[in-house]
Amino acid sequence: MKESQQNTTDFGYKTVARDEKASMVADVFHSVAAKYDIMNDLMSFGIHRLWKRQAIACSGVRKGHRVLDLAGGTGDLTAKFSQLVGDTGQVILGDINDSMLKVGRDKLRDLGLVNNIEYVQMNAEALPFPDNSIDVITIAFGLRNVTDKDAALKSMYRILKPGGRLLILEFSKTDSEALSKIYDFYSFNLLPSMGKLVANDSESYRYLAESIRMHPDQETLKDMMENAGFEQANYQNMTGGIVALHRGFKY
Amino acid sequence: MIKTLLVAAAERVLNGALNLDPHFAAPLKKVQHKVLAIEIRDWQQTFALTYTGQSFMLFNNFQEQSDCHISASIATLSELKEPSQLTRLIRQEKLDLEGDLHLAQTYSQSFSNLDIDWAEHLSEYLGDAGAQQLVQQIKHVITRTKKADSILSNTTQELCQDELKVTIHPLEMTQFKAHTRELKQHAAQLEQRINQLLAR
Ligand SMILES: C[S@@+](CC[C@H](N)C(=O)[O-])C[C@H]1O[C@@H](n2cnc3c(N)ncnc32)[C@H](O)[C@@H]1O
Repeated sequence: MKESQQNTTDFGYKTVARDEKASMVADVFHSVAAKYDIMNDLMSFGIHRLWKRQAIACSGVRKGHRVLDLAGGTGDLTAKFSQLVGDTGQVILGDINDSMLKVGRDKLRDLGLVNNIEYVQMNAEALPFPDNSIDVITIAFGLRNVTDKDAALKSMYRILKPGGRLLILEFSKTDSEALSKIYDFYSFNLLPSMGKLVANDSESYRYLAESIRMHPDQETLKDMMENAGFEQANYQNMTGGIVALHRGFKY
Repeated sequence: MIKTLLVAAAERVLNGALNLDPHFAAPLKKVQHKVLAIEIRDWQQTFALTYTGQSFMLFNNFQEQSDCHISASIATLSELKEPSQLTRLIRQEKLDLEGDLHLAQTYSQSFSNLDIDWAEHLSEYLGDAGAQQLVQQIKHVITRTKKADSILSNTTQELCQDELKVTIHPLEMTQFKAHTRELKQHAAQLEQRINQLLAR
Protein backbone atom coordinates (compact mmCIF):
# COMPACT_ATOMS: atom_id res chain seq x y z
CA MET A 1 0.00 0.00 0.00
CA LYS A 2 2.91 2.35 -0.52
CA GLU A 3 1.27 3.87 -3.55
CA SER A 4 1.83 7.43 -2.35
CA GLN A 5 5.45 7.27 -3.36
CA GLN A 6 4.86 6.18 -6.93
CA ASN A 7 3.95 8.09 -10.03
CA THR A 8 1.42 5.61 -11.28
CA THR A 9 -1.77 4.15 -9.85
CA ASP A 10 -4.52 1.75 -10.78
CA PHE A 11 -7.49 2.67 -12.91
CA GLY A 12 -9.45 -0.54 -12.84
CA TYR A 13 -6.91 -3.05 -14.17
CA LYS A 14 -5.01 -0.42 -16.12
CA THR A 15 -2.10 1.50 -14.73
CA VAL A 16 -2.24 5.23 -15.28
CA ALA A 17 -0.32 8.31 -14.20
CA ARG A 18 -1.35 9.35 -10.67
CA ASP A 19 -2.41 12.82 -11.72
CA GLU A 20 -4.64 11.40 -14.45
CA LYS A 21 -6.77 9.05 -12.35
CA ALA A 22 -9.05 11.75 -10.94
CA SER A 23 -10.06 13.05 -14.33
CA MET A 24 -10.52 9.55 -15.70
CA VAL A 25 -12.78 8.70 -12.75
CA ALA A 26 -14.59 11.96 -13.41
CA ASP A 27 -15.28 10.89 -17.00
CA VAL A 28 -16.75 7.62 -15.80
CA PHE A 29 -19.20 9.35 -13.49
CA HIS A 30 -20.05 12.17 -15.90
CA SER A 31 -20.97 9.45 -18.28
CA VAL A 32 -23.10 7.39 -15.87
CA ALA A 33 -24.68 10.22 -13.81
CA ALA A 34 -28.05 10.37 -15.56
CA LYS A 35 -28.63 6.61 -15.46
CA TYR A 36 -26.85 6.07 -12.14
CA ASP A 37 -29.86 5.33 -9.91
CA ILE A 38 -31.60 2.95 -12.26
CA MET A 39 -28.35 1.10 -12.91
CA ASN A 40 -27.76 0.78 -9.18
CA ASP A 41 -31.12 -0.92 -8.72
CA LEU A 42 -30.59 -3.20 -11.70
CA MET A 43 -27.03 -4.15 -10.94
CA SER A 44 -27.59 -5.05 -7.32
CA PHE A 45 -31.19 -6.28 -7.69
CA GLY A 46 -32.11 -3.46 -5.32
CA ILE A 47 -29.92 -4.84 -2.54
CA HIS A 48 -27.85 -1.65 -2.40
CA ARG A 49 -30.79 -0.11 -0.55
CA LEU A 50 -30.44 -2.72 2.20
CA TRP A 51 -26.68 -2.21 2.43
CA LYS A 52 -27.25 1.53 2.80
CA ARG A 53 -29.98 0.94 5.37
CA GLN A 54 -27.52 -1.00 7.50
CA ALA A 55 -24.99 1.82 7.21
CA ILE A 56 -27.58 4.30 8.46
CA ALA A 57 -28.52 2.03 11.38
CA CYS A 58 -24.85 1.97 12.43
CA SER A 59 -24.20 5.67 11.87
CA GLY A 60 -25.57 6.95 15.17
CA VAL A 61 -26.75 10.10 13.38
CA ARG A 62 -29.04 12.15 15.62
CA LYS A 63 -30.86 15.45 15.67
CA GLY A 64 -28.53 18.41 15.40
CA HIS A 65 -25.61 16.49 13.92
CA ARG A 66 -23.44 17.82 11.13
CA VAL A 67 -23.01 14.96 8.65
CA LEU A 68 -20.82 14.69 5.57
CA ASP A 69 -22.03 12.24 2.91
CA LEU A 70 -18.76 12.03 1.03
CA ALA A 71 -18.68 10.82 -2.57
CA GLY A 72 -22.41 11.06 -1.98
CA GLY A 73 -23.30 11.07 -5.67
CA THR A 74 -27.04 11.03 -6.14
CA GLY A 75 -27.69 11.41 -2.42
CA ASP A 76 -29.43 8.23 -1.22
CA LEU A 77 -27.82 8.50 2.22
CA THR A 78 -28.18 12.28 2.34
CA ALA A 79 -31.96 11.92 1.94
CA LYS A 80 -32.22 9.81 5.11
CA PHE A 81 -29.70 11.83 7.11
CA SER A 82 -31.48 15.05 6.24
CA GLN A 83 -34.56 13.76 8.06
CA LEU A 84 -32.60 12.37 10.99
CA VAL A 85 -30.64 15.57 11.77
CA GLY A 86 -33.71 17.81 11.55
CA ASP A 87 -33.75 21.62 11.35
CA THR A 88 -30.93 22.08 13.82
CA GLY A 89 -28.57 19.78 11.95
CA GLN A 90 -26.96 19.85 8.56
CA VAL A 91 -25.99 17.39 5.85
CA ILE A 92 -23.32 18.14 3.30
CA LEU A 93 -23.44 16.16 0.10
CA GLY A 94 -19.85 16.20 -1.11
CA ASP A 95 -18.70 14.84 -4.44
CA ILE A 96 -15.87 15.53 -6.85
CA ASN A 97 -18.20 15.37 -9.80
CA ASP A 98 -20.64 18.17 -10.58
CA SER A 99 -22.78 15.98 -12.86
CA MET A 100 -23.45 13.59 -9.99
CA LEU A 101 -24.09 16.50 -7.61
CA LYS A 102 -26.58 17.97 -10.01
CA VAL A 103 -28.51 14.71 -10.38
CA GLY A 104 -28.46 14.42 -6.57
CA ARG A 105 -29.68 17.96 -6.02
CA ASP A 106 -32.58 17.55 -8.45
CA LYS A 107 -33.59 14.26 -6.90
CA LEU A 108 -33.54 15.52 -3.29
CA ARG A 109 -35.39 18.66 -4.24
CA ASP A 110 -38.11 16.54 -5.84
CA LEU A 111 -38.36 14.66 -2.55
CA GLY A 112 -39.01 18.00 -0.83
CA LEU A 113 -35.74 17.93 1.07
CA VAL A 114 -34.32 21.43 0.88
CA ASN A 115 -33.75 23.05 4.26
CA ASN A 116 -30.69 21.44 5.74
CA ILE A 117 -28.69 20.12 2.79
CA GLU A 118 -25.65 21.72 1.22
CA TYR A 119 -24.07 20.60 -2.05
CA VAL A 120 -20.33 21.03 -2.24
CA GLN A 121 -17.90 19.90 -4.89
CA MET A 122 -14.86 18.51 -3.15
CA ASN A 123 -12.03 16.01 -3.40
CA ALA A 124 -11.93 13.44 -0.60
CA GLU A 125 -8.15 13.78 -0.43
CA ALA A 126 -8.30 17.40 0.74
CA LEU A 127 -11.58 18.09 2.48
CA PRO A 128 -12.53 21.78 2.67
CA PHE A 129 -13.51 21.85 6.36
CA PRO A 130 -11.82 23.04 9.55
CA ASP A 131 -10.44 20.50 12.04
CA ASN A 132 -12.97 18.87 14.41
CA SER A 133 -16.05 20.16 12.64
CA ILE A 134 -18.10 17.11 11.55
CA ASP A 135 -19.99 14.55 13.66
CA VAL A 136 -20.35 11.71 11.18
CA ILE A 137 -18.77 11.00 7.78
CA THR A 138 -20.05 8.33 5.43
CA ILE A 139 -18.46 7.31 2.17
CA ALA A 140 -20.53 4.74 0.30
CA PHE A 141 -19.10 3.03 -2.77
CA GLY A 142 -16.76 5.99 -3.18
CA LEU A 143 -13.42 5.19 -1.58
CA ARG A 144 -12.31 2.76 -4.28
CA ASN A 145 -12.40 5.62 -6.80
CA VAL A 146 -10.11 7.84 -4.75
CA THR A 147 -6.49 7.95 -5.93
CA ASP A 148 -4.70 8.46 -2.60
CA LYS A 149 -6.83 6.58 -0.10
CA ASP A 150 -4.44 7.15 2.80
CA ALA A 151 -4.55 10.90 2.29
CA ALA A 152 -8.34 10.74 2.10
CA LEU A 153 -8.61 8.78 5.37
CA LYS A 154 -6.30 11.25 7.13
CA SER A 155 -8.33 14.15 5.81
CA MET A 156 -11.52 12.56 7.12
CA TYR A 157 -9.93 11.96 10.50
CA ARG A 158 -8.81 15.57 10.72
CA ILE A 159 -12.25 17.10 10.18
CA LEU A 160 -14.13 14.71 12.50
CA LYS A 161 -15.04 16.00 15.95
CA PRO A 162 -13.70 13.99 18.87
CA GLY A 163 -16.37 11.35 19.45
CA GLY A 164 -17.18 11.42 15.77
CA ARG A 165 -17.16 8.42 13.50
CA LEU A 166 -16.48 7.36 9.93
CA LEU A 167 -18.45 4.71 8.03
CA ILE A 168 -17.12 3.21 4.84
CA LEU A 169 -19.49 1.13 2.76
CA GLU A 170 -17.63 -0.53 -0.08
CA PHE A 171 -17.40 -3.64 -2.18
CA SER A 172 -15.00 -6.06 -0.63
CA LYS A 173 -13.72 -9.62 -0.81
CA THR A 174 -16.02 -12.57 -0.35
CA ASP A 175 -14.44 -15.57 1.34
CA SER A 176 -16.62 -18.10 -0.43
CA GLU A 177 -14.85 -19.27 -3.58
CA ALA A 178 -18.01 -20.40 -5.29
CA LEU A 179 -19.74 -17.11 -4.59
CA SER A 180 -16.71 -15.21 -5.79
CA LYS A 181 -16.67 -17.09 -9.11
CA ILE A 182 -20.34 -16.44 -9.75
CA TYR A 183 -19.75 -12.84 -8.78
CA ASP A 184 -16.76 -12.52 -11.13
CA PHE A 185 -18.75 -13.92 -14.00
CA TYR A 186 -21.59 -11.58 -13.20
CA SER A 187 -19.49 -8.46 -12.94
CA PHE A 188 -17.18 -9.02 -15.89
CA ASN A 189 -19.64 -10.50 -18.35
CA LEU A 190 -23.16 -9.50 -17.43
CA LEU A 191 -22.49 -6.11 -15.85
CA PRO A 192 -20.81 -4.44 -18.82
CA SER A 193 -23.54 -5.77 -21.11
CA MET A 194 -26.20 -4.37 -18.81
CA GLY A 195 -24.30 -1.10 -18.79
CA LYS A 196 -24.32 -1.11 -22.55
CA LEU A 197 -27.97 -1.94 -22.77
CA VAL A 198 -29.29 0.56 -20.24
CA ALA A 199 -26.73 3.33 -20.22
CA ASN A 200 -25.08 2.61 -23.58
CA ASP A 201 -21.74 2.58 -21.84
CA SER A 202 -20.04 -0.76 -21.24
CA GLU A 203 -16.58 0.75 -20.64
CA SER A 204 -17.65 2.63 -17.50
CA TYR A 205 -19.20 -0.50 -16.04
CA ARG A 206 -16.13 -2.52 -16.88
CA TYR A 207 -14.15 0.06 -14.91
CA LEU A 208 -16.57 -0.33 -11.96
CA ALA A 209 -16.06 -4.10 -11.94
CA GLU A 210 -12.30 -3.80 -12.17
CA SER A 211 -12.02 -1.09 -9.55
CA ILE A 212 -13.93 -3.32 -7.14
CA ARG A 213 -11.31 -6.04 -7.56
CA MET A 214 -8.45 -3.58 -7.01
CA HIS A 215 -9.91 -2.26 -3.77
CA PRO A 216 -8.15 -3.34 -0.54
CA ASP A 217 -9.77 -6.26 1.28
CA GLN A 218 -11.46 -6.00 4.70
CA GLU A 219 -8.37 -6.38 6.89
CA THR A 220 -6.19 -4.12 4.74
CA LEU A 221 -8.75 -1.34 4.83
CA LYS A 222 -9.10 -1.72 8.58
CA ASP A 223 -5.31 -1.34 8.93
CA MET A 224 -5.39 1.72 6.70
CA MET A 225 -8.02 3.27 8.96
CA GLU A 226 -5.91 2.60 12.01
CA ASN A 227 -2.88 4.14 10.30
CA ALA A 228 -4.90 7.26 9.67
CA GLY A 229 -5.62 7.47 13.41
CA PHE A 230 -9.03 5.86 13.73
CA GLU A 231 -9.76 3.89 16.87
CA GLN A 232 -11.94 0.84 17.41
CA ALA A 233 -11.85 0.24 13.67
CA ASN A 234 -13.97 -2.76 12.77
CA TYR A 235 -16.11 -4.09 9.96
CA GLN A 236 -19.11 -6.25 9.25
CA ASN A 237 -19.54 -8.27 6.08
CA MET A 238 -22.79 -8.19 4.17
CA THR A 239 -24.04 -10.53 1.45
CA GLY A 240 -21.16 -12.92 2.06
CA GLY A 241 -18.51 -10.21 2.04
CA ILE A 242 -19.41 -8.83 -1.38
CA VAL A 243 -19.91 -5.62 0.57
CA ALA A 244 -18.33 -4.62 3.89
CA LEU A 245 -19.22 -1.84 6.28
CA HIS A 246 -16.16 -0.45 8.09
CA ARG A 247 -16.49 1.81 11.05
CA GLY A 248 -13.94 3.79 13.03
CA PHE A 249 -13.99 6.45 15.75
CA LYS A 250 -11.99 9.53 16.62
CA TYR A 251 -11.55 10.22 20.32
CA MET B 1 -30.58 -9.41 4.93
CA ILE B 2 -34.06 -10.98 4.90
CA LYS B 3 -34.65 -9.32 8.28
CA THR B 4 -33.52 -5.99 6.92
CA LEU B 5 -35.88 -6.49 4.00
CA LEU B 6 -38.83 -7.23 6.29
CA VAL B 7 -38.00 -4.22 8.45
CA ALA B 8 -37.89 -2.08 5.33
CA ALA B 9 -41.35 -3.39 4.39
CA ALA B 10 -42.69 -2.71 7.89
CA GLU B 11 -41.32 0.83 7.68
CA ARG B 12 -43.23 1.29 4.44
CA VAL B 13 -46.46 0.09 5.99
CA LEU B 14 -46.02 2.50 8.93
CA ASN B 15 -45.37 5.39 6.60
CA GLY B 16 -48.33 4.36 4.49
CA ALA B 17 -50.40 4.50 7.69
CA LEU B 18 -49.13 8.02 8.29
CA ASN B 19 -50.36 9.16 4.90
CA LEU B 20 -53.74 7.53 5.37
CA ASP B 21 -54.41 8.80 8.86
CA PRO B 22 -52.66 12.12 9.58
CA HIS B 23 -54.01 12.19 13.16
CA PHE B 24 -52.13 9.05 13.96
CA ALA B 25 -48.80 10.79 14.41
CA ALA B 26 -50.11 13.97 16.05
CA PRO B 27 -49.03 12.94 19.57
CA LEU B 28 -45.60 11.99 18.21
CA LYS B 29 -44.83 15.56 17.14
CA LYS B 30 -43.83 16.27 20.73
CA VAL B 31 -41.26 13.49 20.75
CA GLN B 32 -40.02 13.69 17.19
CA HIS B 33 -36.39 12.68 16.58
CA LYS B 34 -36.33 10.74 19.84
CA VAL B 35 -35.30 7.13 19.43
CA LEU B 36 -37.32 4.30 20.95
CA ALA B 37 -35.45 1.02 21.08
CA ILE B 38 -37.61 -2.08 21.34
CA GLU B 39 -36.00 -5.33 22.32
CA ILE B 40 -38.12 -8.37 21.58
CA ARG B 41 -36.79 -10.96 23.96
CA ASP B 42 -38.07 -14.12 22.31
CA TRP B 43 -36.57 -13.00 18.99
CA GLN B 44 -33.36 -11.69 20.53
CA GLN B 45 -33.66 -8.64 18.32
CA THR B 46 -33.54 -4.94 19.00
CA PHE B 47 -35.34 -2.54 16.73
CA ALA B 48 -35.20 1.23 16.76
CA LEU B 49 -38.11 3.42 15.86
CA THR B 50 -37.99 7.15 15.36
CA TYR B 51 -40.40 9.70 13.95
CA THR B 52 -38.68 12.52 12.11
CA GLY B 53 -41.68 14.79 11.72
CA GLN B 54 -42.06 13.61 8.12
CA SER B 55 -41.86 9.88 8.37
CA PHE B 56 -40.97 6.87 10.48
CA MET B 57 -37.61 5.21 10.34
CA LEU B 58 -37.32 1.68 11.58
CA PHE B 59 -34.03 -0.18 11.94
CA ASN B 60 -33.05 -3.67 12.97
CA ASN B 61 -29.66 -4.64 14.36
CA PHE B 62 -29.67 -1.53 16.49
CA GLN B 63 -26.80 -1.00 18.93
CA GLU B 64 -26.78 2.76 19.38
CA GLN B 65 -27.90 4.96 22.27
CA SER B 66 -31.65 5.42 22.48
CA ASP B 67 -33.82 7.78 24.50
CA CYS B 68 -35.90 4.93 25.79
CA HIS B 69 -35.22 1.22 25.73
CA ILE B 70 -37.97 -1.28 26.37
CA SER B 71 -37.49 -4.99 26.54
CA ALA B 72 -40.27 -7.58 26.64
CA SER B 73 -41.66 -10.64 24.93
CA ILE B 74 -43.76 -10.21 21.82
CA ALA B 75 -46.87 -11.27 23.76
CA THR B 76 -46.31 -8.54 26.36
CA LEU B 77 -45.68 -5.96 23.69
CA SER B 78 -49.02 -6.65 22.06
CA GLU B 79 -50.70 -5.76 25.38
CA LEU B 80 -49.23 -2.28 25.04
CA LYS B 81 -52.09 -1.34 22.74
CA GLU B 82 -53.64 -0.08 25.99
CA PRO B 83 -51.35 2.77 27.15
CA SER B 84 -52.48 2.38 30.76
CA GLN B 85 -50.95 -1.11 30.77
CA LEU B 86 -47.42 0.18 30.55
CA THR B 87 -46.83 0.83 34.23
CA ARG B 88 -48.67 -2.36 35.22
CA LEU B 89 -46.43 -4.44 32.98
CA ILE B 90 -43.36 -2.79 34.42
CA ARG B 91 -44.59 -3.48 37.98
CA GLN B 92 -45.20 -7.11 37.08
CA GLU B 93 -41.66 -7.21 35.73
CA LYS B 94 -42.93 -8.38 32.38
CA LEU B 95 -41.39 -5.37 30.74
CA ASP B 96 -38.11 -3.56 31.39
CA LEU B 97 -37.88 0.10 30.64
CA GLU B 98 -34.79 2.27 30.73
CA GLY B 99 -34.85 5.96 29.95
CA ASP B 100 -37.74 8.22 29.10
CA LEU B 101 -41.03 6.65 30.23
CA HIS B 102 -42.96 9.45 28.56
CA LEU B 103 -41.57 8.47 25.15
CA ALA B 104 -42.85 4.90 25.47
CA GLN B 105 -46.22 6.18 26.69
CA THR B 106 -46.52 8.56 23.78
CA TYR B 107 -45.83 5.82 21.26
CA SER B 108 -48.22 3.45 22.97
CA GLN B 109 -50.91 6.12 22.93
CA SER B 110 -50.39 7.02 19.32
CA PHE B 111 -50.44 3.41 18.16
CA SER B 112 -53.61 2.74 20.12
CA ASN B 113 -55.23 5.67 18.30
CA LEU B 114 -54.27 4.03 15.08
CA ASP B 115 -57.41 3.89 13.00
CA ILE B 116 -56.70 2.72 9.50
CA ASP B 117 -58.49 0.80 6.84
CA TRP B 118 -55.76 -1.82 6.75
CA ALA B 119 -57.60 -3.88 4.12
CA GLU B 120 -57.58 -1.11 1.61
CA HIS B 121 -54.07 -0.12 2.48
CA LEU B 122 -52.47 -3.52 2.43
CA SER B 123 -54.27 -4.57 -0.71
CA GLU B 124 -51.94 -2.25 -2.54
CA TYR B 125 -49.09 -4.47 -1.49
CA LEU B 126 -50.62 -7.90 -1.37
CA GLY B 127 -53.63 -8.11 -3.64
CA ASP B 128 -57.21 -7.97 -2.37
CA ALA B 129 -57.80 -11.53 -1.18
CA GLY B 130 -54.65 -11.68 0.88
CA ALA B 131 -55.28 -8.35 2.55
CA GLN B 132 -58.83 -9.31 3.45
CA GLN B 133 -57.65 -12.48 5.13
CA LEU B 134 -54.90 -10.68 6.97
CA VAL B 135 -57.30 -8.10 8.34
CA GLN B 136 -59.64 -10.84 9.56
CA GLN B 137 -56.76 -12.40 11.42
CA ILE B 138 -55.66 -9.13 12.92
CA LYS B 139 -59.21 -8.49 14.15
CA HIS B 140 -59.11 -11.84 15.91
CA VAL B 141 -55.87 -10.82 17.52
CA ILE B 142 -57.40 -7.65 18.83
CA THR B 143 -60.53 -9.28 20.23
CA ARG B 144 -58.82 -12.29 21.70
CA THR B 145 -55.77 -10.77 23.32
CA LYS B 146 -55.21 -13.93 25.36
CA LYS B 147 -54.20 -15.90 22.34
CA ALA B 148 -52.66 -12.88 20.68
CA ASP B 149 -49.20 -14.31 20.58
CA SER B 150 -49.94 -17.51 18.72
CA ILE B 151 -52.38 -15.97 16.27
CA LEU B 152 -50.03 -13.14 15.49
CA SER B 153 -47.22 -15.50 14.76
CA ASN B 154 -49.51 -17.70 12.68
CA THR B 155 -50.64 -14.70 10.74
CA THR B 156 -47.12 -13.62 10.10
CA GLN B 157 -46.16 -17.13 9.20
CA GLU B 158 -49.05 -17.57 6.80
CA LEU B 159 -48.53 -14.17 5.37
CA CYS B 160 -44.88 -14.85 4.84
CA GLN B 161 -45.41 -18.32 3.42
CA ASP B 162 -48.34 -17.61 1.15
CA GLU B 163 -48.05 -13.98 0.26
CA LEU B 164 -44.45 -12.96 0.46
CA LYS B 165 -42.87 -16.37 0.04
CA VAL B 166 -40.03 -15.54 2.40
CA THR B 167 -40.17 -18.03 5.23
CA ILE B 168 -40.48 -21.70 4.51
CA HIS B 169 -42.25 -24.78 5.75
CA PRO B 170 -40.00 -27.26 7.63
CA LEU B 171 -40.42 -29.80 4.82
CA GLU B 172 -39.37 -27.27 2.25
CA MET B 173 -36.43 -26.46 4.48
CA THR B 174 -35.28 -30.10 4.53
CA GLN B 175 -35.62 -30.26 0.78
CA PHE B 176 -33.78 -26.98 0.42
CA LYS B 177 -30.94 -28.21 2.60
CA ALA B 178 -30.58 -31.34 0.48
CA HIS B 179 -30.48 -29.20 -2.63
CA THR B 180 -27.85 -26.92 -1.16
CA ARG B 181 -25.68 -29.88 -0.23
CA GLU B 182 -25.93 -31.09 -3.80
CA LEU B 183 -25.23 -27.66 -5.15
CA LYS B 184 -22.25 -27.27 -2.88
CA GLN B 185 -20.84 -30.55 -4.19
CA HIS B 186 -21.39 -29.45 -7.76
CA ALA B 187 -19.77 -26.12 -7.07
CA ALA B 188 -16.76 -27.85 -5.55
CA GLN B 189 -16.46 -30.13 -8.57
CA LEU B 190 -16.83 -27.19 -10.89
CA GLU B 191 -14.23 -25.30 -8.97
CA GLN B 192 -11.82 -28.19 -9.28
CA ARG B 193 -12.40 -28.35 -13.02
CA ILE B 194 -11.89 -24.63 -13.40
CA ASN B 195 -8.68 -24.86 -11.43
CA GLN B 196 -7.50 -27.75 -13.62
CA LEU B 197 -8.30 -25.79 -16.74
CA LEU B 198 -6.53 -22.74 -15.39
CA ALA B 199 -3.50 -24.80 -14.43
CA ARG B 200 -3.02 -26.06 -17.98
C1 LIG C 1 -20.42 4.72 -7.12
S1 LIG C 1 -20.71 6.43 -6.72
C2 LIG C 1 -21.47 6.32 -5.14
C3 LIG C 1 -22.56 7.34 -4.93
C4 LIG C 1 -23.39 7.19 -3.65
N1 LIG C 1 -22.57 7.34 -2.46
C5 LIG C 1 -24.13 5.89 -3.62
O1 LIG C 1 -23.79 5.05 -2.78
O2 LIG C 1 -25.05 5.70 -4.40
C6 LIG C 1 -19.09 7.04 -6.42
C7 LIG C 1 -18.98 8.55 -6.33
O3 LIG C 1 -17.68 8.90 -5.87
C8 LIG C 1 -17.32 10.13 -6.46
N2 LIG C 1 -15.88 10.33 -6.34
C9 LIG C 1 -14.90 9.69 -7.02
N3 LIG C 1 -13.68 10.13 -6.64
C10 LIG C 1 -13.88 11.07 -5.66
C11 LIG C 1 -13.01 11.88 -4.88
N4 LIG C 1 -11.68 11.81 -5.01
N5 LIG C 1 -13.56 12.72 -3.98
C12 LIG C 1 -14.91 12.80 -3.84
N6 LIG C 1 -15.78 12.06 -4.56
C13 LIG C 1 -15.28 11.20 -5.47
C14 LIG C 1 -17.86 9.98 -7.86
O4 LIG C 1 -18.01 11.24 -8.51
C15 LIG C 1 -19.19 9.28 -7.64
O5 LIG C 1 -20.25 10.16 -7.51
